[in-house]
Amino acid sequence: MSDDRSLTFLAKEDDSGKAIALLTVVVVLGLTFHAYSFFVIKNDEILNKYTEPVFSVSFEETSLQGSDSTLIADGETESFQFSRDTFDADASLMMAKISISVSYEETSGQIADPCDEVLAQIPPNGMVADWQHPDNVLSDSNDDCETMNLVVYVYPGFSSEAKQEVGQSAAHWERMWTNSSYGSGVLELQVSVETNAAPGSVLPGSDDTNEEINVQWTVELFEVEVEAAPVM
Amino acid sequence: MAVDGLLAVGGILSFVLGISGLILIRHQKLEVIWNKRFAAQILCWMFICKGVANSLYSVGLDTVLTLIVVYGGHFANVVFSGLLVLISLIFPVPVLRTRKQFKFGIGAVLAYIAVSIGVVVFVDITSPLASFAGMYFIPGFIWTLVYLKFRFMKGQENNEEIHGVADVAILMIILMIGHILFSWVGMFTQANYFYFMDLYGGNFLNDYLWSQGLAMAVVFGLVILCGEAYQATQGRIRSTSYMIFAYMSLGVLSHIVYGNTVLTGTDGGPLSGTELGGLSRFQTIWKELTATLHFTMMRPLLGLFILFRYGLIRISEDNEQVGKSTSIILIVVATSALLELVQSLIPLTEMLSAGILGIAIAIGIGWEERSFQSLISDPLRFPIRTRGSYFPELDFDKTEYHRFDRALMVTLPFLLFVSLLLHWSQTIPF
Repeated sequence: MSDDRSLTFLAKEDDSGKAIALLTVVVVLGLTFHAYSFFVIKNDEILNKYTEPVFSVSFEETSLQGSDSTLIADGETESFQFSRDTFDADASLMMAKISISVSYEETSGQIADPCDEVLAQIPPNGMVADWQHPDNVLSDSNDDCETMNLVVYVYPGFSSEAKQEVGQSAAHWERMWTNSSYGSGVLELQVSVETNAAPGSVLPGSDDTNEEINVQWTVELFEVEVEAAPVM
Repeated sequence: MAVDGLLAVGGILSFVLGISGLILIRHQKLEVIWNKRFAAQILCWMFICKGVANSLYSVGLDTVLTLIVVYGGHFANVVFSGLLVLISLIFPVPVLRTRKQFKFGIGAVLAYIAVSIGVVVFVDITSPLASFAGMYFIPGFIWTLVYLKFRFMKGQENNEEIHGVADVAILMIILMIGHILFSWVGMFTQANYFYFMDLYGGNFLNDYLWSQGLAMAVVFGLVILCGEAYQATQGRIRSTSYMIFAYMSLGVLSHIVYGNTVLTGTDGGPLSGTELGGLSRFQTIWKELTATLHFTMMRPLLGLFILFRYGLIRISEDNEQVGKSTSIILIVVATSALLELVQSLIPLTEMLSAGILGIAIAIGIGWEERSFQSLISDPLRFPIRTRGSYFPELDFDKTEYHRFDRALMVTLPFLLFVSLLLHWSQTIPF
């Protein structure tokens, strides 16, 4: 057994260092080739890799419309309910906002009978929506037969404008605009009527005791398209 | 099965192998030479570290636990790489030939781990000092040198013990960098799929050091390929030759599959910076069947083979049951995970896949019963009698071996606790 306890024993033993010399030459050649490839040939491409990817996010929009009407008695409140099933919207489409128009006319037929007092309101619950949106119109009332327009913004942050997003991944941005929980649940519209009788009305059988309320709804839907600029 | 699922399975396999390996070492009655005994412990702890890292990475980087995953996984990998360097210094042929040198080696590895972790905590995880510099270079260089010396030793062409040392050097290299050998052609064709592999991205020097390590892995693989090709022409082909031929051939096929597609970096993917973004579905499937499969399942199976076949752990009546259980668990879990992977790629009905799984496990266990005895009963001996000068005798008592285990038993949980602290303090790693 050799008494050589030096760290270089393995390098020198048996072949006088030929194997380590050969291996060192091969390693140096390999390192040189790799460094040349990395710093010269592939340098720009590798640096480009660090540039955050840019994604173009655009939206394809569609809308669905419908209407309903009901007769509401004096002093009563009726509910209209809306949901994804009501709109018959495709599951792949996200809900952007819901616009509801409430209209009525004075239908008593009495001369000089003023318009009834109608109150329309949407309680901020039931449907998952952007209830804090500053442009929401959740209630309105009038007594002049004007149409009342209520709006609920459903998908937070949606503005229909195409945008450029930097960083993350295409899947991330697609996920951001395909959260189908927004628009789930039931949206309730409550409409109350207070009739106003014509002054001096005495004709029998012409009491103003109810009103026909027409509701028209428009739901705006969108589908996101994400395109990535590839890293070259 | 998604990559995450494979990682989890790989993590379990590694962890099981590591823990049961340590139990086997504790209960072995037969004497084992010091470098094999320490190598067995180091290998087991390497697998425990990998088990922790892979299990953490399998959680994903998109959860509230992201910081624990990133830091904990990185720390476990730092300890793994330190142990990798240490094992190469003593096994199969000790470079460290005295107690003093061995202690100095352990000290150097500890310093490497401490610096690397300190940089992550106090500077940045993408810092070049935290980029595992030398992780593949030092062990790869030593094992390739051992391979060259013992495979081409004059007058020893038919000496099984001498070639056994060369074989174990090849197996250690494949265990360490087998997944990189699947990309070897890309280095020379200057393909993106090789040069875009990075650790966390965003730091040019860090990425260079990482890529340099991969290049070195390729160089060592090629040296062994050339050596084995020469041996084959001389009619001295061995089973380990087939392994290196298979890995390098798959590397050629990988080049055809990946081609020059537009790819992005890894941004610290779960495979420790060896995976790529921007692969097509077919390319992803190929990657899972090659690099990911090696990384998660082949490593523990190779580890099991090395531990038993080369006598790092000696099985006797006292610890035979634990040894058998370990190999059965590894084979069954790996078989079922492989089948799950195939099922996710090829649409099989649940009934059919359950049937195939049953047959595969039965064959696996049957094979295990037949081959386990031959694997453990006659472990390959190293040429201590004929080439004893390569294997210096050093004396270590039991407490020193146990102290090594205790040190790692404290280090690993401590580092996981540090990652928990970093998570609580919301320290951004990048």
